[in-house]
Amino acid sequence: MILLRTSSRTLATFALCGALTTAVASCGEMEEPVGGVKTRDAVTLVLDYFPNANHAAIYAAQASGAFERAGLDVTIQPPNDASTPLKVLEAGQADFVVSYEPEILLARDKGAKIQGVQALVQSPLTSVVSLPKNPVRTAADFKGTTIGTSGLAYQAAYLETILAEGQVDPKSVKRVDLGFNLTQPLIASRVDASLGAFWNYEAIELERQKKKPITVKVEDLGVPTYNELVLTATEDTVAKRGPVVRRFVQAIGFGAKAVQENPAAGIDPIMAASKGLDRGLQEASLKATLPVMFPEDDAHPFGWMDTTAWANYARWMESKDLITNSRVAARAITNEYLAGEGVGDKTDS
Amino acid sequence: MASTHVSSAASITGRRRTRSVLAPLALLLVLGAAWEAFARLRDIDPIILPAPSDVASSMWTDRSLLLEGLGRTTSIVLGGILIAAILGIALGAALHRSPTARRAVEPLLVGSQAVPIPVLAPLLVIWLGFGLTPQLVLVVIVAFFPVAVATRDALAGLSPETDLVLRNLGATGSQRLRLVELRGALPGIVTGLRLAVVFAVIGAVFADSTGSSATTAADPTSSGGLGRIVQDAIPQLATDRAFAAIALLAALALLLFWSLGAAERRLDPSPHSPLRTP
Repeated sequence: MILLRTSSRTLATFALCGALTTAVASCGEMEEPVGGVKTRDAVTLVLDYFPNANHAAIYAAQASGAFERAGLDVTIQPPNDASTPLKVLEAGQADFVVSYEPEILLARDKGAKIQGVQALVQSPLTSVVSLPKNPVRTAADFKGTTIGTSGLAYQAAYLETILAEGQVDPKSVKRVDLGFNLTQPLIASRVDASLGAFWNYEAIELERQKKKPITVKVEDLGVPTYNELVLTATEDTVAKRGPVVRRFVQAIGFGAKAVQENPAAGIDPIMAASKGLDRGLQEASLKATLPVMFPEDDAHPFGWMDTTAWANYARWMESKDLITNSRVAARAITNEYLAGEGVGDKTDS
Repeated sequence: MASTHVSSAASITGRRRTRSVLAPLALLLVLGAAWEAFARLRDIDPIILPAPSDVASSMWTDRSLLLEGLGRTTSIVLGGILIAAILGIALGAALHRSPTARRAVEPLLVGSQAVPIPVLAPLLVIWLGFGLTPQLVLVVIVAFFPVAVATRDALAGLSPETDLVLRNLGATGSQRLRLVELRGALPGIVTGLRLAVVFAVIGAVFADSTGSSATTAADPTSSGGLGRIVQDAIPQLATDRAFAAIALLAALALLLFWSLGAAERRLDPSPHSPLRTP
């Protein structure tokens, strides 16, 4: 799930979002059935990867009828490859995409007019995975190792930060790019550890296969925290189709609560949408992910993005020359459309 | 007397046919056994290299998933091949007819084949959106080239005397093409098609990653082709399933390749057609 889903080639195309259907001023809060809505707004959502446990809230919203009740006709489209959701968004082939905080900041820095509207996973999922033969538990353990990464510039920068944190001489560490296949070389002992696999997916599958993986989250190794998965739209969509954005993100929030109460509400539709999945892995993955799907502070609604953390991460990116100006973080997100946020929430309902 | 002659001839053909089936099967068995022994004796983790028996067992356990994927991939391959055949033959004939067109188009044609498919696939989605269109376009792009080249070469290889005779008999260009040239060039065209189906299968795998099918409230299930199954299996560490899907892809390519060969023999019983130069 690694590079495929995160690989970045960033974008220069122009934003042009298909204003599809004009319809219907509004409809109330998610929980209330909306009887009066006749024409539904068509919404296309492109995922970051094939359907998996990270998308439980989205699929639960679809299966429970939350999208319908919000007057939305949602098509959920798995991506062609993980490098393109933001490009697809800018090309107008999708209204919303699931992307990643680092990718959004890279795109904003290149001038793309896109905005994160809801965090689907609050913390990084990217982790360092090793096996008991050559355990890597702390930043200092990196000394003299061969580390497999997915080849993404910002993940290479994570390694730099980790080595600095552990006061390890970068010359003692060999980095190899493994593309999207980070786990197999680890099992084959071609690398001592891999950086880029998700702790809630590959690491869990390794655990299930009794490989006893040692998993360390990147934020525990000195990398600033960030929102791994973020629902993203163009500024144009946000500006012109505010009510649709609001109903969409709130319906997903409803799906998230449904999944929290009953994981099967998300797992069942995911299994239907992607038949090749192992139910046991998806269930274990969702169970592990649920705590980081919701903001730490209960006062914030599902999907909340912390502006301070975004600014902090952007500054780190700038310090690593990944972006030219960390101030892009300010316009990269809006919490305006989440349940109970923004003036529109009251006037719209 | 005559009947014994015929039956012995038939038995020779029969034996030859049996041998032509047995030989590749035997080789496959030997290679499979070596692979199995290697994987078992070295105790290689099936996540790294599944043994043929692991692959076979995954083929059975995941049969409904794999069959669905195979069906989807097959339809994309067949659809793409059909379009590629029409376009390729038309283009090949046009290039044969007009040397100017040939000089103009050829560099583009060859150049188009050097564009890496993995680079093209995401771009096609950006240009054409999701769905069947980018998938078919991708298959057509990889498959029509061998057809066009084979058609042109086959037409160029026809005996110029026949052409001259027909011209003198007053046959129009389209008559010559329809009655004589296409018929004479058919074996060459089929050879091109046989190459094209193998390319098309590779194209279909990449095409799969351009447009995995969407789900909606009305239709909450989706199924991908074999390419999608491979991509899904790797991060789930189900390498055996990835191999099973790859084995099916190989079988599909082989089946199409053989069927075209059989069709060719049926269409062109005499290898010594007077239409071709010796």
